[in-house]
Amino acid sequence: MTVDWKSQIKGLTERGAEYADVRYYPKQEEDLKFMWNGNFLAFNRSEESGFGVRVLVDGAWGFAASSNMSSPAETFDRAFANAKAAATRVKRPIRLADKEVLSGRFESPCAIDPFEVPMAEQVALMRDLDSYINQKGIMQRRVMLSTVRKTIQYYDSEGAEIEKHIVEIFPTIHVASFDDVGMMQGRKYRAPRLADSRGWETMDREHWKNEAERIVSEVRQLVESPKCPEGIMSVILLPEIMYLQVHETIGHALELDRILGYELSYAGGSFVRLDDFGSLQYGSPKLNARADATLINSPGSFGFDDDGVAAQNRMIIKDGILVGAITSRQMVAEANERTGRKIFDGSGGTCRACAFYRFPIERMTNINVDPGHDGTLEDIISNTQRGVILAGDKSWSIGSNREQFHFSTDIGWYVEDGECKGVIKDCAYSGKTLEFYRSLTAVGDESTWEVQYVDNCGKGAPGQTMQLGHGVPVCRFDNVKVGE
Amino acid sequence: MASDQIISKLRTLREYALSKGARVHLEWTTEDSRLVRFANSAVSLNTTERLTILDVSVYGDDRHASTQLIVDENDLATMKMAIDKAIEMLDFVAPLTYQPTLPVIEKTTISEEVYDPEIEALSSEEIIAFVNEATNGLETDDIVLSGNFSSGVAMYASISTETPEVIFSRKTDIGVTLVLSSIRRKWEVIAEQFVGFKCDLDAKALRDRFTWLVDLYMTKPEERLPEGPYCVVLGPAAIAEYLGFLGWIGYSAATMKRGFSMFKEDDIGKKVMSEQFTLIEDPTVLATLPTPVDAFGRERAKSAIFDRGVLKGFIWQQQAADEFGGTPTGHDVPHLSLVLQGGDVDTALIQDFAKLPRDRDILYVPYLHYANIVNPTEGLITGVSRFGALYLKRDGTITLPYNVRFTERLDELFGDKLVWMSRELVPYGSSSHYFGRDQYAALVPALACFDDVSVEISNESF
Repeated sequence: MTVDWKSQIKGLTERGAEYADVRYYPKQEEDLKFMWNGNFLAFNRSEESGFGVRVLVDGAWGFAASSNMSSPAETFDRAFANAKAAATRVKRPIRLADKEVLSGRFESPCAIDPFEVPMAEQVALMRDLDSYINQKGIMQRRVMLSTVRKTIQYYDSEGAEIEKHIVEIFPTIHVASFDDVGMMQGRKYRAPRLADSRGWETMDREHWKNEAERIVSEVRQLVESPKCPEGIMSVILLPEIMYLQVHETIGHALELDRILGYELSYAGGSFVRLDDFGSLQYGSPKLNARADATLINSPGSFGFDDDGVAAQNRMIIKDGILVGAITSRQMVAEANERTGRKIFDGSGGTCRACAFYRFPIERMTNINVDPGHDGTLEDIISNTQRGVILAGDKSWSIGSNREQFHFSTDIGWYVEDGECKGVIKDCAYSGKTLEFYRSLTAVGDESTWEVQYVDNCGKGAPGQTMQLGHGVPVCRFDNVKVGE
Repeated sequence: MASDQIISKLRTLREYALSKGARVHLEWTTEDSRLVRFANSAVSLNTTERLTILDVSVYGDDRHASTQLIVDENDLATMKMAIDKAIEMLDFVAPLTYQPTLPVIEKTTISEEVYDPEIEALSSEEIIAFVNEATNGLETDDIVLSGNFSSGVAMYASISTETPEVIFSRKTDIGVTLVLSSIRRKWEVIAEQFVGFKCDLDAKALRDRFTWLVDLYMTKPEERLPEGPYCVVLGPAAIAEYLGFLGWIGYSAATMKRGFSMFKEDDIGKKVMSEQFTLIEDPTVLATLPTPVDAFGRERAKSAIFDRGVLKGFIWQQQAADEFGGTPTGHDVPHLSLVLQGGDVDTALIQDFAKLPRDRDILYVPYLHYANIVNPTEGLITGVSRFGALYLKRDGTITLPYNVRFTERLDELFGDKLVWMSRELVPYGSSSHYFGRDQYAALVPALACFDDVSVEISNESF
């Protein structure tokens, strides 16, 4: 059924809406294939179709979504009524920062569409991956392949018309075994950004075979390794864990909706205050971070956000000083109004919803840390007196204002007097965010920089999961509390 | 769409699957959800979602494939294509090492025990009026309201090609999470309720808690607690959070068989927790928003998972039973109906507990934020206090501690460290989740006290 979305939106503005938009998903497909010890526990195709309407009336948002296409006007009416009801409890009428009204199309880079690859070929490859990790000493093995293909049409009352076509692929292999005291030790490999496009071309067998051999070898070492030492020492974070450190304690901490209190009842707030922009020493001068939605080939690059704002590349921390945030039109307008100064120059283009039935909110794009000038991983190790190299996210827990954290990792290596002394298990570290980033003493060069993908960032109510990326180098932090 | 229409459509789809010679399990969910979200003392979002979801599972000899649709409820053509797709996928999926079991529903079951038409009819205006009553007079320029009022109805129906019988349920629920917080000082206090019937909502109880906590947070001194061991009293949110992890890495047979559990098969019959710890799965308790019949048509009954600290057995879902040769225990449901039996302490409200004389300092933690598993086989969980901790000193005074981090083993926490629990139980649940309406609640003691809980990080401000 064809719906005239623009006339539906016009109907809302004629009834007094200050703004309205609609996101129509003709089709969102997701394939999830999941093998555990050779068995396909999931072999699933899901498809979604529907639309979501966002409308601003008397300074308040209303939203309605439906998978029923037979009477779209009903959903537009519900959104309008929801906004009218919300407007009975308004403290500061919602305004949207100005934007350039755009029409355009975005396609994510994909050489071979995984949805066009015959299923038999996909299954054969997954079985091959399983065979690569089905090695002596491995007690648990998992292979997961998640692929997404979606088309989103966006129209708003300001005249924007945007279509996005996005293809994602998230492959992972995981192996685990018991150590001598019966504790599970595991390693995984999730494909980072490997090239300028991400489609089925990501699934190069030789590459995966090599990575499979590496993680199998690491688990064999882990089960026989000593425990991580406890105490205060340096931690050298490889991209496989540095991405999560950045995600949790820079990314989420700098979402402007969190800073303004819009997530207080669930995800939490932020230790950052509006007065901090331009002055807060977030980290050592070696820390340079940016929100870059223009990076070629990452789930955090999407052309246009769900405010209809074009993708951008903005510094958020420059030479250790906080200079920017992850922003949408609504939050930028509110932050500038609250402070009476123009802290933010327009939206940063980060407003996204995970599905047609969810409301767009501030989401990370690619929150990256720039490479530094402290050489290779080997250079950093050679300049470290006592510490641990850490990789692989095992568990993470962060304070509600992102002011503190606790991470445990799959694997570690002990470093003493500039030399790597071997694998250690049961590694964990914790700290306070500002103290931690201010103790950043080495940032690896371009050779250490890698884009890690995140396919399940949770936020919002009703809950949403989002996909994004983090380009990060190897980083060393000193005087960190290490141990469970 | 009415229940008979859903069942009729499912039967049409079943006929279609049979005409294709397929062995299929079909599950239909219709969700009508409303969420009114509050931030900075305003309604920040008022949203409704009407979704129809069809799950198709196709079974073959040692094979299984599935499709899922979010689709127009009248679009039978697309639904039939989803059946076709699942059948097509079955030809490609690699054989399993076991035979998956297709549900055989022997008897039609209609359950509407936790359905309240008043919740289905709830308007935005009523919701806002309720929240206004719960927070009346407590908001200021500095103290602002955040929160969610999530309500809705979900209809679920399933059928398989083995019989024409159906399982149908219709449930309503409301989850209220309200937070008052200081913009200037950044403290936060919380009040929550989870109910299946509108009449169980109690704005006065929420307001009474808020009034007491806000008064404390406006008048008492704040402090950074030194790191070290504390006697801790947890509220229902924190207790339920730990129980959630126990379900994941404790008594799940699948987790145990895969080696990620803190318990092993030979722990059955052993005392692995405190004598005070009795955890029951009881689908007759309506406050847990139960599912009386599981997805395989098995009628569910009350059973103990832990009885006075003794592990009675693991929860075997059908897939794990198929794969590992266990006996399914009738727990193929979205959520268990957990009841942690109460103790012998009559005090249920923190307001009352704080008035009692005490012989030591006690840290009250209502809520754990972002808890996670550090080590599953050790049962080691870390998390941070949130939403209005209190430090109740032995001299009767109260201070306001900054948030703290604990990293504790579940078997120790609910073992030797468990001191007492309230007799009164309260439901603690969830209404919305990442993928849709998520109706459940666990019944947990209103308060539980633990000794020797180690604070390993103590914040330096709210």
